[in-house]
Amino acid sequence: MRGPATTRAESKEKACQGMAEDLEFYTVDPDDEDVERRDIKKLLTECGLLYEIGIEAFVVCRDGEKLVACAGLQQNVIKDVAILPDYRGGALSLTLVSEVTYLAHSRGYSTLYVYTEPKNAEFFRGCGFYDLVEMPDTVVLMENTPIGIKSYCKQLQKHRVEGAKIGCVVANANPFTYGHRYLIEQAAKECDWLHLFMVKEDVSLFTYQDRYYLAEENIQGIPNLTLHAGSQYMVSRATFSCYFLKDQGIVGKCHTAVDLLMFRNHIAPALGITHRFVGTEPFCATTNKYNHDMMVWLQDPVRGAGPALDVVEIPRTEYGGTAISASEVRRHLHAGDLDRIRNLVPPATYELLKTKYVPLVQAGA
Amino acid sequence: MELKQEALAGTLESSDLFIRVSPSEDPLEIAIQSEVIHQFGEQIRATVEEVLAHLGVTRGIIVIQDKGALDCTIRARLQAAVMRAAGETTMDWEALK
Amino acid sequence: MKLRRSMLFVPGANAASLSTAFLFRPDAVMFDLEDAVSLREKDAARLLVFHTLQQPLYDGIERVVRINPLDTPFGRDDLEASVRGGADTIRLPKTDTPEQVHELEAAVEEIERDCGRAVGSTHLMAAIESASGVVNALAIAQASPRITGIALAGFDYVMDMQTERGDGTELFYARCAVLHAARAARIDAFDVVFSNLDDEEGFLKEVALIKKLGFNGKSLINPRQIELLHNAYAPTQEEVDYAKRVVAAAKKAEKQGLGVIALGGKMIDGPVVDNARRVLDKAAASGLRKE
Repeated sequence: MRGPATTRAESKEKACQGMAEDLEFYTVDPDDEDVERRDIKKLLTECGLLYEIGIEAFVVCRDGEKLVACAGLQQNVIKDVAILPDYRGGALSLTLVSEVTYLAHSRGYSTLYVYTEPKNAEFFRGCGFYDLVEMPDTVVLMENTPIGIKSYCKQLQKHRVEGAKIGCVVANANPFTYGHRYLIEQAAKECDWLHLFMVKEDVSLFTYQDRYYLAEENIQGIPNLTLHAGSQYMVSRATFSCYFLKDQGIVGKCHTAVDLLMFRNHIAPALGITHRFVGTEPFCATTNKYNHDMMVWLQDPVRGAGPALDVVEIPRTEYGGTAISASEVRRHLHAGDLDRIRNLVPPATYELLKTKYVPLVQAGA
Repeated sequence: MELKQEALAGTLESSDLFIRVSPSEDPLEIAIQSEVIHQFGEQIRATVEEVLAHLGVTRGIIVIQDKGALDCTIRARLQAAVMRAAGETTMDWEALK
Repeated sequence: MKLRRSMLFVPGANAASLSTAFLFRPDAVMFDLEDAVSLREKDAARLLVFHTLQQPLYDGIERVVRINPLDTPFGRDDLEASVRGGADTIRLPKTDTPEQVHELEAAVEEIERDCGRAVGSTHLMAAIESASGVVNALAIAQASPRITGIALAGFDYVMDMQTERGDGTELFYARCAVLHAARAARIDAFDVVFSNLDDEEGFLKEVALIKKLGFNGKSLINPRQIELLHNAYAPTQEEVDYAKRVVAAAKKAEKQGLGVIALGGKMIDGPVVDNARRVLDKAAASGLRKE
């Protein structure tokens, strides 16, 4: 039998505390429970944190009537973890993280992510979280599995193609337009091999399955290209959560660096990627900022980061004097203006819009 | 026993361990992290492998965060995780001893 | 003669408590699969308790398992795990009638036979938590030869009585009824938990009361209360001296083959000797009372 790591007296003391404590943990839906939400806000304020919108559930802990700790869950990202100073450093924090993991599991999320200041990373390491990437002195992104990113990169390595210039495009393609086709074609021409990733997260009308299918259809004829499924590790809620809130105007406080460093440190080395290609962005502020940040976080020296890459911006292709954009296609779709879409998207996209999405939009309206 | 869905068991509290088991097509992959890994890592792994073999688990991913749990706690938590993942509710207690 | 002064509640889902509660040396531990365990953790708690029961950690401490009532989806599985795991005693919560004890007894016997455990080796204890339980206390206490004790549980009882915990007046009848039932059936009686962990004075006052009434001991939720309780039950030097003289007199009488025990010229009978032995057991277990 294994002996206890602590002395008897110590563990007796600890057990005494553990067994005598009267702390209650439970789950709260902040949208439905006014009193709980009020108390959570108060606790967060006391701990110097902001109540983030979009948190679907909290695990809270009360000592008698007093709310002493909370941890929020936004899909698979843990947010707003706060514990009153008197309750820190003990079993409470560990129970809190255990409970939030069970909560996530019951909601169908397995791997969890957390953003934390580097000084708090050690706490989460003790809770089964592993470092994914650090934006020096600012924030660390962690996941609660030791094999997540490792096995993902191992999968990627199977698709590695050796060459002097290996490119990458990450596309949302919402939906796939002539603009995407042009960008991918140009990038492929410049490289020995091109890796194309489809963003996995769904935030608009078009499902990932459909976007992936359209990419498959629309890249035919490009010989030096591998199409990859998207993942949690790239432009996802986990790596880049604010991107998906852009409709709400939250752009400023985004951790684009985290997403880009994930790419630089893990994905690019796995595939030997040397260049990342991106279309110029005349319309969308978030995407434009992302492009700009790309230059910083992929090209410049960053402490502890992987080898630098080259970022290549390719000007958008135009139709009728205007840059083609997916958002324009979506606008026409919502207006029921299928004729104007025809010139902006390849035939496969046009067909799918006509047969599936026009009826969908009409049904929705 | 076949792991049909992902399951959790245990907690991160001291003297306990947290286990996540997931189905997989590949042979068993066991990842263990422990505060006492240098002292007891081998022993923990041996217990884990023995329990899994006993339950006939041959495929899956087992991730363990150990907080200094006793051997009997490791057995109990791992059995609970596997039963949950297999959707098994009837226990053969004599076989679990 | 087994001392049953302290019975420490240990939440069955709490690995840390299960791995350390023996350190406090209570007379009995009660691994709880019932109220202390959330629905989500019922299965895991059962496995934890099952494996803890098989450890040598609790040697010398009576291992009691509180199962869920048999009419819940958990009761039968709890019982399987406990009897097969080697529990000394099964504590049945919310016992209202002797029939519930009969049902439990039959189920225990079936499991004992199935797993090769000596039939009758699993003891039972009934917790009385309602007005009907109190009214039926004697029938419950006598329902099975396996029953070693009955325990009053205050929380549910006071709710059933449409009152609340206070100075003890609300428990007065129940305490007396349970105690009388236990004594009439020649089994042990346990008092309710004292849940205000910060009120040491109140705890000691309650212990003094139940000791005086005649309870064998108390269920406890806080390990810190064990030492206080044991000390309150510990005999004084005078009591020990007297008990030693009684036991010596009894030995002497036995040696000389006398049917009558005499101490200082007075005759003493069996119960006095039994009582003296209990006093010495308590002194052996936790020394003399410290004031």
